[in-house]
Amino acid sequence: MTAHGIVADVLLGLAAAVVLVSSAGILIMRDAYQRLHYVAPIAVVAPVIVALAVLVQSGWTENSGETWLALLFVVIGGPFLAHATIRAARIREKGDWRPGAGQSGAGRDGPQGRPPERKQPGHAAGERDG
Amino acid sequence: MNSFVIAAIVMLLAAVPCGIVVVRGTTMDAVVAYEAVSSIVFMVLVLLAEGFRRSGEFELPVHLAVLLFGSGLVFVRFLERWL
Repeated sequence: MTAHGIVADVLLGLAAAVVLVSSAGILIMRDAYQRLHYVAPIAVVAPVIVALAVLVQSGWTENSGETWLALLFVVIGGPFLAHATIRAARIREKGDWRPGAGQSGAGRDGPQGRPPERKQPGHAAGERDG
Repeated sequence: MNSFVIAAIVMLLAAVPCGIVVVRGTTMDAVVAYEAVSSIVFMVLVLLAEGFRRSGEFELPVHLAVLLFGSGLVFVRFLERWL
């Protein structure tokens, strides 16, 4: 086995370990907020390590280029997706994402279990058009 | 069977706990676990393409990476507003 192969194997083992530990964390944690912390290593760290392993194994080829292109999409999109997920979880729980808003827990997943009433601009009760 | 294929199998096994969360957790827990499974499948596709030396199959993870972001946003947007 060449040095490239050994380095690639070590990187693959590291990526597999990261994914296994993070997956166990997703199973063990209590709610979506805590679970989302364990998605980041799976969505960002492990793909980088896998792409490095592919690069070490096959060098700068078309294969590794496509891997790094896919990795670019994943690394850029992952934090945005995590943010949107947390935002959705907070809106479902509190009724609003802003700090201090929705303290009564008026969201669908909050203590009252009912979704908040959404105000439609210009179509509130008793308000007439024109 | 080389190390890339073995790593792909190990990562597929790591998707099992996420599947348990999808089945047994709340809706938001399931979405979080779905995002993790999507990323795992992305890596599995890369590893299998490299492990079996099939250059054409490296396009699959590229497409999945783009769709992963879009589908995740659609899911959380629906959960945030309507579901």
